[in-house]
Amino acid sequence: MEKARLYETTFIVNASLDDTQVDSVIGRVQDVIVKNGGTANALNKWGRKRLAYSINKKTNGFYVNIEFTAPAPLLASLERAFQLDEMILRFLTIQLDQKAIAARAKAQAAAAAPPAADPAPVQPREPLFKEPAADKKS
Amino acid sequence: MITTRKPRRDKESQMPRKKRTCRFCDAKEVYIDYKDDKRLSRFVTEQGKIIPKRITGTCAKHQRQLVKAIKRARHLAMLPFVSDSIR
Ligand SMILES: [Zn+2]
Repeated sequence: MEKARLYETTFIVNASLDDTQVDSVIGRVQDVIVKNGGTANALNKWGRKRLAYSINKKTNGFYVNIEFTAPAPLLASLERAFQLDEMILRFLTIQLDQKAIAARAKAQAAAAAPPAADPAPVQPREPLFKEPAADKKS
Repeated sequence: MITTRKPRRDKESQMPRKKRTCRFCDAKEVYIDYKDDKRLSRFVTEQGKIIPKRITGTCAKHQRQLVKAIKRARHLAMLPFVSDSIR
């Protein structure tokens, strides 16, 4: 008896593909999820981003995030599909636990609420700590 | 003024230290998301190293979550493992 769990996978598609090719890569991933008894709940395309370090000599990637519910054995199939796909540079699948779900619900509530009700907006800050060699001022 | 590297002095010479609090506890954070790379990057040095909690003041519980999130973000090339080069 398999219990369906909530997962989230993020993967990086080769950014040298055009948008329709990227969509077909995403479609292949969604197929793997659906064919193995999972259901995709949400698809988020973060789009082209610069990679923090090069992967397979690529400096840019197209980020995609899919949230899905699935029985556990699906993950092995999904991982295999990712590994076989030459156009996928990197992937990460995690199970969303109660804390993650709660945090997201909170974030959505905050986003939905009028900005006046926001208790304490987090302001962007400078880095907490700088390498000693890097700055000599102040 | 965050860095106080000197060892803790005894009572008479101890200056009033600025209390550092965990930013995640202050924000009542239950989950630190690896996708929030802008936020994570504040807990990483310019070289890409994770800043120890004794400097940031993060509590042990949140530091563990933070480290996990940073490592996930690194895997997805959202944060560098090392970045000693000048861009
Ligand atoms: Zn904390």
